Amino acid sequence: MILQAQGLVKHYGDHVALRGLDLAVDSGEVFCLLGANGAGKTTTIQLFLGFIEPTQGSATIKGLEVRNHALETKKALAYIPENVMLYPNLTGIENLEYFATLAGCEETGEAKLRETLIRAGLPTDAIERPVGNYSKGMRQKVGIAMAIARQAELLLLDEPTSGLDPKASNEFSQLVASLRDEGVAVLMATHDLFRSREVGTRIGIMKRGVLVKEFNASDVSHNELEQIYLEQMTE
Amino acid sequence: MIKHVARKEVREIVRDGRMRLLGVIVIILALAALAFGAQQAIRAQEARDNAMERAEKQWEGQGERNPHSAAHYGTHVFAPTSVVTAIDPGVSPYLGRSVEIKAHKRSLASHSEAQDSGGSKRLGSFSVASVFLLLIPLLIIALGYGLWSRERERGTLRQVLSTGVKQSDLFWGKTLALFFVVLILLIQAALIIVGVLWGLGGGDGDTLVRLGLLALGYGVYFGIFAGLTLFASAIARTSRGALVAMIGIWGLFCLVTPRAATEVSGVLQPLPSQAELGRQVAQSLKTGLDGKTDKDVFVEAKVADTLEAEGISEDALEFFADDAEAQRIQTYKDGLMLKFTAEWENAIFDHYIKELDDQVAAQESVMDWVSFLSPYVAMRTLSAAFSGTDVAHHRHFTGYAETWRQGFVDSLNEAFAEKAGAQGWSYRAGPELWKNAPAFEYQPPRPTYGLDVHLLSALALLGWLLLAFVLARWAAGRVKVV
Repeated sequence: MILQAQGLVKHYGDHVALRGLDLAVDSGEVFCLLGANGAGKTTTIQLFLGFIEPTQGSATIKGLEVRNHALETKKALAYIPENVMLYPNLTGIENLEYFATLAGCEETGEAKLRETLIRAGLPTDAIERPVGNYSKGMRQKVGIAMAIARQAELLLLDEPTSGLDPKASNEFSQLVASLRDEGVAVLMATHDLFRSREVGTRIGIMKRGVLVKEFNASDVSHNELEQIYLEQMTE
Repeated sequence: MIKHVARKEVREIVRDGRMRLLGVIVIILALAALAFGAQQAIRAQEARDNAMERAEKQWEGQGERNPHSAAHYGTHVFAPTSVVTAIDPGVSPYLGRSVEIKAHKRSLASHSEAQDSGGSKRLGSFSVASVFLLLIPLLIIALGYGLWSRERERGTLRQVLSTGVKQSDLFWGKTLALFFVVLILLIQAALIIVGVLWGLGGGDGDTLVRLGLLALGYGVYFGIFAGLTLFASAIARTSRGALVAMIGIWGLFCLVTPRAATEVSGVLQPLPSQAELGRQVAQSLKTGLDGKTDKDVFVEAKVADTLEAEGISEDALEFFADDAEAQRIQTYKDGLMLKFTAEWENAIFDHYIKELDDQVAAQESVMDWVSFLSPYVAMRTLSAAFSGTDVAHHRHFTGYAETWRQGFVDSLNEAFAEKAGAQGWSYRAGPELWKNAPAFEYQPPRPTYGLDVHLLSALALLGWLLLAFVLARWAAGRVKVV
């Protein structure tokens, strides 16, 4: 398994964000975490990023405990949040070069980075422009380009298509699907039922810090997924 | 990795226009301060040269006169001026650069700019040092307050830390970037300063050593503000918080502490008023330091002892009453009177000036200790010391001037005693004697003298740098995104 959570518990003072979460994602899988706001999706991703520590249980990436191997585990992953934040005065290619270098990528030549940005769907004329005037969709594409450049084995996506127009959202999902097909493991927190059915291999529904339902995406239709989700939310 | 982080930070600073704006401000201020300082230094040098020439002419052209009257007539001596004063005039505008030399009187230094410029000088002078001490720290704050906090605010820190980069690499990269940007901004100003000083004739070894010490001192001083800015940026929740905190620290270090410390040192080590000091000196000149010895009795006793030791009795004077030899002995006796009067006065002056010097030194010592509360106070002290314009250098000059005054007056009294002979007080010496008076050959202390005197301030400055660096490094390791 690339990513595994076992009995993950996270308390914020009196508030319990996660109550014994178990999940696993292997290469070539896209695990979509669905759930209402506050269900624990973002907390789960932050635990795997090592930004917070679990109160109990373990979060491992490639068999390494995240809290004990924060730097090594991060080398295997790429993270794309709801808003990929970049340096507004640097161009797209400069941003990509910077983040790729930080992540320890060896191939950071201009031609390679340009090719990566183009593969991620960034318009050619935007590559040399400062990202300060990029649209959200363009910034998300730079985020994907970072994952491609890093040759990440694991993608952690936190509501990456939130706020994107349908076209941009579709393009983004296609990119995720292509990475999945190349063997990348993906854990994606999202509210987008349609996209999770399209791109996901497995779907988990979280409620109040617990994974209440887990199934293969291919086993349900769009309507059934919506039905299951609403049932879980109203119970 | 560090190089990449630094390059990105420099790119950001350059592209957001801050560097251009601050660079222009630094150049304008440094040029203005330097032009002002250079003009002051040139004016001071010209005034000194003119005054020296005038004093020399007056002394040598005073005509025929009794040597002791010439000692009363007196002259002036002048402290040498250095082009480094164009950087930091220190206490020179307040304490003056010349001393009046005459018999029976120890003068304080005079001809200060503050005396000549009314009350405005009390507000402090505009100099390269004031720009470096007060404004460059603000520039460093403006460049560095957002290095961590802005990344956290706009969310890029989350993105950066998700790459698995070491926080220590980020710290070193940001530190290197801040160092590089400040260096680029200051190097232009530094080159202009060195060029102007060179043009003013400051290419000698002493000046270069002084400039080197100043560069080193200011480098440490700026490093302290850079470290503290990085620390504030790492721990503050917002950029605005970091900026406000650093402006507060700047105000505390550069505005509040120095003034409070001056008041405290004045309370702990009060100086007598000029009127009170004058009254005490006048009283002691009459009745001695013990308040019981009459000056005339003391001097007459010393003269009598000397005459007796030399086998000259009062009876002999009466025996030769109408003889030229008697007049010669009387002149010799008058010469001894002058000599012992000068000795008496010198002892009184030395005592009170030493007491005053000790009190001033004690006040300075308080300020040296205050350096541990404010790096500004430490650097202000060292800046004047390295420029040769602090109180210690001033004391070095006035101390030499007083020793020379005593020798100068002694030489004139001796000339009277030895050459007047039977002519007594009607004896007149001529230009030959004035020309042969001891030359005033003051050698300023070596450039590192300021470091010897203010070692405590130098240690405080290094301590501040260490503290700032440790705080910045510690905070960088604890930067959190959640």
